[in-house]
Amino acid sequence: MPREIALFGVYLPNLTLLFLLTLAGGWVIDRLVAWCGLYRHAWHPTLLRVSLFTCLYGALVLYVYH
Amino acid sequence: MDNVPPIPAPRGALRRALAEWAQDEGRVWAFVFKALLTAFLALWLAYRLELPQPSTVLATVFIVMQPQSGQVLAKSFYRIVGTLLGLTVMVPLIALFAQERVLFLLCLALWIGLCTAGAARYRDFRGYACVLAGYTAAMIGLPAIAHPQGAFMQALWRVLEIGLGILCSGLVSALLLPQTSSASLRTALATRFRDFAGFAAAGLAGQLDAVRVEQVNARFAAEAVGLDNLRNAAGFEDPHIRLRSGRLARLNNEFMVLTTRFHALYQLLQRQQGEAGVLIRAALQPCLDAVAAQLAPFGQLLADEADLARLAERLTGERHRLMQTIRDGRRQLAALDDIDAEAALLDFDTAAELLYRFADDLLGYAHTYASLREHRHAREQWKDSFTPRANGLAAAVAGMRSALLILLLGTFWIASAWPSGSTFVLTAAMVSALASTAANPRRLSWQLLAGASGAALYAGFLQFSVLPWLDGFALLCSALAPLFALGAWLLARPARTGYGAGLLLWFCMLGLPANLTVFDPYRLFNEYLAALLSIGLAALAATLILPPDRPWLWRSLERDLRQRVVFAVGGKLKGLVAGFESGTRDLFNQAYGLAAGRPAVQRRLLGWLFAVLEIGHALIELRQEQARLPLDACYAEDMPWRQSIRALGRALVRLFIQPDEGNRQRALAAVEQAIAAVRQTPEERPPQFDTSPLRRVLSYLHFVRSSLLDPNSPLADAAASP
Repeated sequence: MPREIALFGVYLPNLTLLFLLTLAGGWVIDRLVAWCGLYRHAWHPTLLRVSLFTCLYGALVLYVYH
Repeated sequence: MDNVPPIPAPRGALRRALAEWAQDEGRVWAFVFKALLTAFLALWLAYRLELPQPSTVLATVFIVMQPQSGQVLAKSFYRIVGTLLGLTVMVPLIALFAQERVLFLLCLALWIGLCTAGAARYRDFRGYACVLAGYTAAMIGLPAIAHPQGAFMQALWRVLEIGLGILCSGLVSALLLPQTSSASLRTALATRFRDFAGFAAAGLAGQLDAVRVEQVNARFAAEAVGLDNLRNAAGFEDPHIRLRSGRLARLNNEFMVLTTRFHALYQLLQRQQGEAGVLIRAALQPCLDAVAAQLAPFGQLLADEADLARLAERLTGERHRLMQTIRDGRRQLAALDDIDAEAALLDFDTAAELLYRFADDLLGYAHTYASLREHRHAREQWKDSFTPRANGLAAAVAGMRSALLILLLGTFWIASAWPSGSTFVLTAAMVSALASTAANPRRLSWQLLAGASGAALYAGFLQFSVLPWLDGFALLCSALAPLFALGAWLLARPARTGYGAGLLLWFCMLGLPANLTVFDPYRLFNEYLAALLSIGLAALAATLILPPDRPWLWRSLERDLRQRVVFAVGGKLKGLVAGFESGTRDLFNQAYGLAAGRPAVQRRLLGWLFAVLEIGHALIELRQEQARLPLDACYAEDMPWRQSIRALGRALVRLFIQPDEGNRQRALAAVEQAIAAVRQTPEERPPQFDTSPLRRVLSYLHFVRSSLLDPNSPLADAAASP
């Protein structure tokens, strides 16, 4: 897997692209979790959301780069 | 004297005092702490990542920093949108006019003027995106004129720096000691209902004075606007609020309808004067007391959803009894023979119907409030929305003012070839953009100037006396901490935000050591001279060029307020109530804020608000009533009563566009003719207002007539002084 992709002649690190991908995926998951009312059981819902996003992003990046 | 024992402190006093402190001052200190942490985190990252301008990162942090985390997230989101928009506009401009500074500045002035006008037009977070689109364009474009070949890379660096600032402030304010917008939304809703319940119960019992009515109504109008912004911000932060967003919007709308209805009822009761009035009020009093008894307990406590659910249950149970009480009162009034029975009964019926509808609206509000307990609810299906209204003229003036300023300063820059000219123009763009969203642009501009002067002094002191001794990031942080703490403390006080913003922004932009620290006193002097001069000129422009807190604007807003009746007559029926109620309040709220310190003007504006809401709402209900009519011959489109109601609509539109005695008399004649036409129409339904549409139409018409005749209404004033 290349580390950079060319977008209209500008080199972007793949990390950026993956970040945007995770943002979209994370948003869907976030909606789902909120819809099921699971955030009610969390002590700090925002912390949970941020951690969820971090885990997703980390997993995706490790999977792609490993 | 020595024998007097010290008064023992009550138990738990210390804990209570601490809790109070945490609610009040504690929040400010938490905010200061968070601001410092965010700033140092962002600064360290900016140095570590070797970004070319750490100053942009910190300026972003302080622009976005707000006490409530929902607002931080909402502002961040719109900041990203605004930044990308500014970037998209600036890159083609640089590509087009890289060699031609004059044309470039002309386009920039136009763009900033447009953005400022947009900010003055929307005034919520969308307005904020406009502000940022304007000055991001200036931040990217102005430094790039000198080096057009690096413009694209510079623009990308700016976007990265802004992104880093947003990331840091969003994370810190949402994760550490969060002060959530959703919590304050809940408190605001509960407080508002408590105040309304107390106010309405007192009004139904006849214990209100005119001053309190005005104050409370002005506050409710302001809160209706504020609550919608808070709802938007809280939706960014809390997924549960987002699930309830439709219901919260609906709740706000229902509250506006509720206050309008209550005010109509209250006014109608106030207009019952003389001997007949006393008798009518006496006949109505049991009905009023029945509703007041339901409301009174809620004036004392901050009710939650469960309390409102109980209120809804009780109101549902009371409905039939209320109807029965109304019929008893009517019979009692009809039995009297020493008054003009027909006129008195019409007054009684109109008031009773308003009261019944008020109880109905209250029931709807209680249902919606109670439904907030559930995640999913049928009431979430709510299509209408809060529609802010603004004055096009005011927005255009704000845009013209900043475009002119940019042009003027740009010309000076080109003519003098001043090395700090770009700061000169950039600062003017920032100040006019920041001021355009403020309630009082002039005061904010002067506050920014004072703040920036403080920043200049501190930056000079830091650069010449402190920085040469420092070694390492920790020492730099200790040198910056006092200024940042002071600035954040000022930012947290709504009345002094300008000082804080001026201090922090212009310190970060000009005084902060860059990655490669350059010791250059001339540059520092030049930059601060440019910034201070520019803020001063922007403040002067805000004071001199058509300042908004002057008669021209509030007269124009008053005209817009009256035009709302035209909207009520001619607007599309779908979503009309929500659009009318919210837009009218938004317009009033702006005018009321601009007329601060002039009680006579404010009272006049309130009078117009009441007149517009009363008559406009009655007209909308008349239209809705006609849209729902069953298919009978007596309700046909070409019946005389429907034609006369259309004529009434036209007469009222004329009256509100040009309020004078002639138009008022014409409107009165039209309403009397409509009343006569409705009365002469035969109808085959029992003459009760729950069964007969004509009965309801009659009471709306009567209400319009009573409000046209009201001697305290501004319509009467306008007629008296043409």
